[in-house]
Amino acid sequence: MAHSQGWVKRYLKAFCKGFFVAVPVAVTFLDRVACVARVEGASMQPSLNPGGSQSSDVVLLNHWKVRNFEVQRGDIVSLVSPKNPEQKIIKRVIALEGDIVKTIGHKNRYVKVPRGHIWVEGDHHGHSFDSNSFGPARSTTVTHVLQKSNHTEVGCLQALTQGS
Amino acid sequence: MLRGVLGKTFRLVGYTVQYGCIAHCAFEYVGGVVMCSGPSMEPTIQNSDIVFAENLTRHFYGIQRGDIVIAKSPSDPKSNICKRVIGLEGDKILSNSPSDFFKSHSYVPTGHVWLEGDNLQNSTDSRYYGPVPYGLIRGRIFFKIWPLSDFGFLRDSPNGHRFSDD
Repeated sequence: MAHSQGWVKRYLKAFCKGFFVAVPVAVTFLDRVACVARVEGASMQPSLNPGGSQSSDVVLLNHWKVRNFEVQRGDIVSLVSPKNPEQKIIKRVIALEGDIVKTIGHKNRYVKVPRGHIWVEGDHHGHSFDSNSFGPARSTTVTHVLQKSNHTEVGCLQALTQGS
Repeated sequence: MLRGVLGKTFRLVGYTVQYGCIAHCAFEYVGGVVMCSGPSMEPTIQNSDIVFAENLTRHFYGIQRGDIVIAKSPSDPKSNICKRVIGLEGDKILSNSPSDFFKSHSYVPTGHVWLEGDNLQNSTDSRYYGPVPYGLIRGRIFFKIWPLSDFGFLRDSPNGHRFSDD
């Protein structure tokens, strides 16, 4: 009897010890390094979710690369939605601070991106809730980066002049 | 001999990682002790006061008018600012300094808050950089620990007339 009780106690002790190591380490890793998420919506077609509602892409969200909020033109990033803080939106960075952007459907035809802000757009123009709707977004709301740009794509973007 | 030293080093690294992660989880999801610097929240919070901040209200979207919050600084992404929430989304705000002749109102956009320091003369806040997105708020300050003469819950805003409730 004493022998099996000792076994249970040792098991519980080992479980608690493992639990208090594994959970904080895992949570810290998911917050600070990277996590995985499913993409919903059609605003980034054809780059993300090309299959529409049949198949949602699962992507790796990298926090470590943007821990200093340094993003490049052409990166696909996830940021806190300026209109609804409970939601995160995934868009492509089109322009950085100081650039002048030619907008689609915004009230001003040309917008100069203010300091500390970025201009984001979805790849599927017209089906995207992005800077053309809510204006420039603060770069400190960027939480993760999905895909760093390869610079061949920069030529197609709509940034006209580049500041500094 | 070498194995002993290596074993000790690994154990030390392991403990550091484990306690570092526990500290991160505690500060991110529960709260922690913060030291504030700067004159922009006088007289409520003086320079180098130590206060207690909690992060639960932010996660449950319960921040209200009159709360003192810590947020990521809109001008310098690596530092934090400590200001009072004057208006939530949809509120009407007096968006000029008291010295201007014409009073101008503006509405706080959805998903944003309007922050002001209690020391209106000496505070760069939303009057300078505009409304701040809710997503930048890190936590809510509710209790002062140091100096001991001022120990206790924080006072209400000394600038009550800034709230515009209609």
